[in-house]
Amino acid sequence: MVVGDVSTGTELAIIGAGPGGYVAAIRAGQLGIDVTLIEKDAWGGTCLNYGCIPSKALITATDVGHEADTATEMGIHADVKVDVEQMTSWKDGVVDQLTSGVEKLCKANGVNLVEGTAEFAGNGKLRVAHGGQGQGSETIEYENAIIATGSRAIQIPGFEYDSEYVLSSRDVLDLDSIPESLVVVGGGYIGMELSTVLAKMGCDVTVVEMLDDILPGYEDDVKRVVRKRAEDLGIDFRFGESASEWEERGDDIVVTTENADGESFEYATDKVFVAVGRQPVLDTLNLDAIDLEPNDDGRLETDHTGETDVDGVYAIGDVAPGPMLAHKASKEGQVVAEVVAGKPSALDYQAVPAAVFTDPEIGTVGLTEAEAEEEGFTPVVGKFPMSASGRALTTGHSDGFVRIVADEDSGFVLGAQIVGPEASELIAELGLAIEMGATLEDIAATIHTHPTLSEAVMEAAENALGHAIHTLNR
Amino acid sequence: MPTEFKLPDVGEGVAEGEIVAWLVEEGDTVTEDQPVAEVETDKAVVEVPSPYNGTVRELHYDEGDVVPVGSVIVTFDVEGEEVEEVDVEPEETEDEAEAEPEAPDSGGRTFAPPSVRRLARELDVDLATVSGSGPSGRITEGDVRAAAEGEAEEAEADAEEAPKQAVSKVEEESVSAEPQEAAGREKTLAAPATRRVAEELGVDLNDVPAAEERDGEAFVDESAVRAYAESQQAAQAADTAAVQAGESGESGAREERVPYRGVRRTIGKQMEKSKYTAPHVTHHDTAVVDALADVREKLKPVAEDQGFRLTYMPFIVKAVVAGLKQHPYLNSQLDEENEEVVLKNYYNIGIAVATDAGLMVPVIENADEKSIPEIADEMRDLIERARERSISREEMQGGTFTLTNFGAIGGEYATPIINYPETAILGLGALEERPVAEDGDVVAKETLPLSLSIDHRVIDGAVAAEFANTVQEYLENPSMLLLE
Repeated sequence: MVVGDVSTGTELAIIGAGPGGYVAAIRAGQLGIDVTLIEKDAWGGTCLNYGCIPSKALITATDVGHEADTATEMGIHADVKVDVEQMTSWKDGVVDQLTSGVEKLCKANGVNLVEGTAEFAGNGKLRVAHGGQGQGSETIEYENAIIATGSRAIQIPGFEYDSEYVLSSRDVLDLDSIPESLVVVGGGYIGMELSTVLAKMGCDVTVVEMLDDILPGYEDDVKRVVRKRAEDLGIDFRFGESASEWEERGDDIVVTTENADGESFEYATDKVFVAVGRQPVLDTLNLDAIDLEPNDDGRLETDHTGETDVDGVYAIGDVAPGPMLAHKASKEGQVVAEVVAGKPSALDYQAVPAAVFTDPEIGTVGLTEAEAEEEGFTPVVGKFPMSASGRALTTGHSDGFVRIVADEDSGFVLGAQIVGPEASELIAELGLAIEMGATLEDIAATIHTHPTLSEAVMEAAENALGHAIHTLNR
Repeated sequence: MPTEFKLPDVGEGVAEGEIVAWLVEEGDTVTEDQPVAEVETDKAVVEVPSPYNGTVRELHYDEGDVVPVGSVIVTFDVEGEEVEEVDVEPEETEDEAEAEPEAPDSGGRTFAPPSVRRLARELDVDLATVSGSGPSGRITEGDVRAAAEGEAEEAEADAEEAPKQAVSKVEEESVSAEPQEAAGREKTLAAPATRRVAEELGVDLNDVPAAEERDGEAFVDESAVRAYAESQQAAQAADTAAVQAGESGESGAREERVPYRGVRRTIGKQMEKSKYTAPHVTHHDTAVVDALADVREKLKPVAEDQGFRLTYMPFIVKAVVAGLKQHPYLNSQLDEENEEVVLKNYYNIGIAVATDAGLMVPVIENADEKSIPEIADEMRDLIERARERSISREEMQGGTFTLTNFGAIGGEYATPIINYPETAILGLGALEERPVAEDGDVVAKETLPLSLSIDHRVIDGAVAAEFANTVQEYLENPSMLLLE
């Protein structure tokens, strides 16, 4: 136990032990750097504790139940009972296994782990306040620092998370019972993923979205597949409305929304889940002490090595520009650790893949057709519907498609959009193709196992080349 | 924000270019695609267009400087915004913002696998300057290594030459100032600011003695670069002083060093390839061309009336074409890969031309389809433009057989080197009166000495002799050309 204020020195201080910070720490440890990883809450950060991992555990668990419950066509008649407590405890077990694994890996790689909240106390100096009474604080003098503090859910005025009726994604992942009804504010990927989970558990879900469709940033034909399935699951969509307030009324609460014309609507519900996005966490760091300022997006500008405007101070993950994705943070963490070790490393990736674990899943990487055109390419597009995939039909899920965007002249693969079963897994092949500078022909000429979903990727490439076998070539 | 513009690869596989002339000055406003410089490569003179709208902030080289492809030649202040290229400098301390390299135009993405991108960073190769040899132009590991070796060669050449001078005189006597010895490493770590200083001072970082190491690699700081540059300059000053002393005294400069560059080096490489690839045999003979001289004498005024000067060359071209038609193997090329001899049913005759810059070979295409006046006219035009250096690369390609008229300067016989991958070359000595034995008497006759070199892989000496005989027959009986 450390009591009072003591001072230690480190070559590399990393603030935040999420998928950016802990990966940077392990890589730095591998490279022989004296590294200190500071975490105020839980090893593994949001991703492992309150985000990706627990949500995927619940998605899978509810899918098992839902599949069993809806497989009469396959001749399966089940009487499914869900024990939410047991499901939660299984999920917690997965999380515990991973987070303790992270802690062990860090220690095995010589990473000094410090629990506490860090803030800058001047150039080269961090003050870490340890949690709990009498734990004191310490000063860490660093040569290099990585800011990896991640993000938190955005709160909207009037919907503060301190009420038992207003849930953040973190709260939804920790429910001990399933509400009968739920209003979800925000049709982005977090709102859609968890809406799907709750709808499959029998909750009456209404999604309120300010824009006129779900999943901003995705193409219409991609969204359509997910929205249609969500509607089939009984999710109601209210587009063009924004939540303005809520109040308790009897046993229920009532959420009031407004549309652009000023009309208001009321929704009686058990709870309201606010999922309107995430914001970087920089306000706890006292950045003034090192003259560092976030940009207009609230992020820290970085160069190709991840370094901020302040020498020796790097930013990775959700506090750095770019998509807020765990795997992007991890890549940045590795690169920065290597840069600090003097390796010729750089953030030179061509594309960051993304997955949405809705039903069906979405996997995307690289450019859309429109983006390719904007970048000056002449794109050629190949598409293969999952309804033509033998394997997709045998899973009972044949909605969606694989689409590949390539440069017409050279055949280089530029991007892909997949919506359908296992899209999150299928997209990896196309990510590799893009990074490798593979061409459509490279993918088309690679033998893909039959019968698998991955054949759809091959056929999409063939379609772009005008010779797909199992779909008509346009 | 200042944006650096690197000398692009202005021609296939061109490694460097000479800035012949700047077409803009510092402070000038430029528009996209406006030519900013004339650059001479070993193949041609090209205009380099500005990729941006903006203002010229700095020209980094003087006219006459030889610049490796990929070097920053101009800094622009670009209008509007731009994208930062992901280019790498691992050691990274200060003044970063200024030196950001520029991304290629949108759509001009570099296609290279991650492992190759990493190698490029390790070898300090800018991928944007590498042309890929993989499918659809993807950059491979080999491409990057080749580019790195190319740069290393440049660096060595620079180090030998340092400080840069077109012609530096070197006194072989020892000099008083001891220069710091060039370290000649393969790789040196340094901060971007240090790299910039080194570039400004014309110092190769790999030659700067390293005081420290980082991660097992030599690390050089700015002061070491400056110290090295100073010591080199002192040595150079001493050299110059010694040279001047020598010149005013008795010994004089004993050697002169002239860079082996541009057209000279291209010729050198081409000759080396030809001579080391094709086993040469040279066949010598002499044509007695009294009749041809008569014909030319008679036609000269006619030609003048038509507005052209009639030389012997068009007749010789026609005679050679006639010979090639009868002996097709002389008009061929060995396809080594497929183990086939490619016989060419077209007759593109190259004419070797001496220019100030060196030997050039413009080509008269389809010479069999052209009349003597047409050939005369085309040849005059090609030769003139070759000497002016305004001839294009395409006009010097595609030859099937070459003529070299060294006799225009003087001499009788030579052993010409084949213009590879052609199979044969005919050298012409001076056409003049020489003693000829005729019916027991020695008489003075106009004669043309012929030197025919052939690739002995493709044909044997007998075929060469037969071809020479045919050409000789046409030259000695020019009326036969009427039937061609």
